[in-house]
Amino acid sequence: MAEKGKKMIYYILPVLSIGILVVLWGVLCVQKPDIMPTPAAVIKKIADITVNPISNATLPVHILVSLGRVLSAFAAACVFGIVLGILMGWYPTFHDIAWPVFEIIRPIPPIAWIPLIILWCGIGETSKVIIVFIGAVVPIVLNTYSGIRQVDPMLFKAAKSVGAGDRATMFEVVLPASLPSIVAGMKTSLSTGWMCVLAAEMVVARQGVGFLIVRGMDSGDSALILSGMVVIGVVSALITALLNRAEVKLCPWRTEQR
Amino acid sequence: MENRTKISISHVSKSFEDKKQVRHQVLDDINIEVKENEFLVLLGAGKSGKSVLLDIITGLDTDYEGKVEFSDGSRSTKDIGIVFQKYALFPWKTVMENVEMNQKFRGMGKQERKEKAEKYLKLVGLSGFENHYPNQISGGMKQRVAIARAFAGESDIMVMDEPFGALDAQTRYQMEEELLKIWEEAKRTVIFVTNNIEEAVYLGDRILLLGGSPSTIAKEYVPDMERPRKYTHPDFLELRNRIAGDFELVL
Repeated sequence: MAEKGKKMIYYILPVLSIGILVVLWGVLCVQKPDIMPTPAAVIKKIADITVNPISNATLPVHILVSLGRVLSAFAAACVFGIVLGILMGWYPTFHDIAWPVFEIIRPIPPIAWIPLIILWCGIGETSKVIIVFIGAVVPIVLNTYSGIRQVDPMLFKAAKSVGAGDRATMFEVVLPASLPSIVAGMKTSLSTGWMCVLAAEMVVARQGVGFLIVRGMDSGDSALILSGMVVIGVVSALITALLNRAEVKLCPWRTEQR
Repeated sequence: MENRTKISISHVSKSFEDKKQVRHQVLDDINIEVKENEFLVLLGAGKSGKSVLLDIITGLDTDYEGKVEFSDGSRSTKDIGIVFQKYALFPWKTVMENVEMNQKFRGMGKQERKEKAEKYLKLVGLSGFENHYPNQISGGMKQRVAIARAFAGESDIMVMDEPFGALDAQTRYQMEEELLKIWEEAKRTVIFVTNNIEEAVYLGDRILLLGGSPSTIAKEYVPDMERPRKYTHPDFLELRNRIAGDFELVL
């Protein structure tokens, strides 16, 4: 009974906390509904733009456009970031050459790149993907690198004792040992990417969730602004849930002990 | 036959430089003749260079002075079965996959290596746990997987570095007994490192006490007792106390 009650609470608590948030929001709106729309108004707006297009696209299309930008940048960031992380983790000389450059470029926020990227690549899709890439690649490089540095030295000895060569050691020991760290980096990367795409879209875009927010601001439509924000939160939460699932599949040895 | 030398370790010394470029000598002029099928125990306190010596014998460390020779020609690390301290299992591989690794890298076919692995898992009493991950089994079981993995290499030399150090006393006794059983079934040369005097007396054909700074072979004991040895037998206790006394001296 107690066990079952405990389980129930895990379902009730999130509903409760979100409920309280919505109620507080509703209470706050009473004063000035023109600049702070009610939850009901936002839900109505979301329903409206899901069917009626803004700038030639309905809400699902705007979401897909943003997601598409994130995913293509994320895919490129995975390939480039994992390779760079492995090289830095594995070859000390390469690390000594690449690390200082990486350390200087890393703290520059992706948003600071926007003007330069637009100057170079114009205002097309490429620019947005590059901006997202800049943000998404950093956590992958960092986590891959530290994952590889932290492989237990005993495992190298063990690999040698069972006759693993260099190649086998890389693919059977180093990479799987670093995988949990790499996957953690990918999770951070995807949420960072999602933040970057919105920033990029808010500066210049004709479609995407970030564009919706800017359109809301330009037309004084506060319900549209909040709709965009709600959509961002929900999509991001869904992505995280999906990635947690993927993590269980990718690193079964870490999760099955729970 | 029993007296043929299997491994000859002569004048092995090892020193290393720390970060401040101060040289530390760990081992000084170690000489050991390991006999064929002998159960040799290297006994020493922590930091007495036991693991360093094992790395040298197994070829994991090649930066030392002196010579390590095998009676049947040169050997590389993979030709020696090694049980590491704290298991050193691959956490992302199942029990079965861990034990199979030896055969995998020797290019053995899937079916064949599965049979081999099953044979050694059965030997250490772990049939039925093939698909568990190391995280899902107890310390004693992990240790047995490590032993099965080392045995699966089918080398005639086994090197074990404090294999039972992390186990509770009860499991430890049980594992010592099982190890002897396995060894008596299929004799091979064993070098067994421990810091536990009772364990040394229980297992060893011969016990070498390592001590001093830098470490040398301080004493040699040959327990003249039938197996299985009894922890409470007067001869056992007498030897145990004698070694304990010497142990204090070399610290």
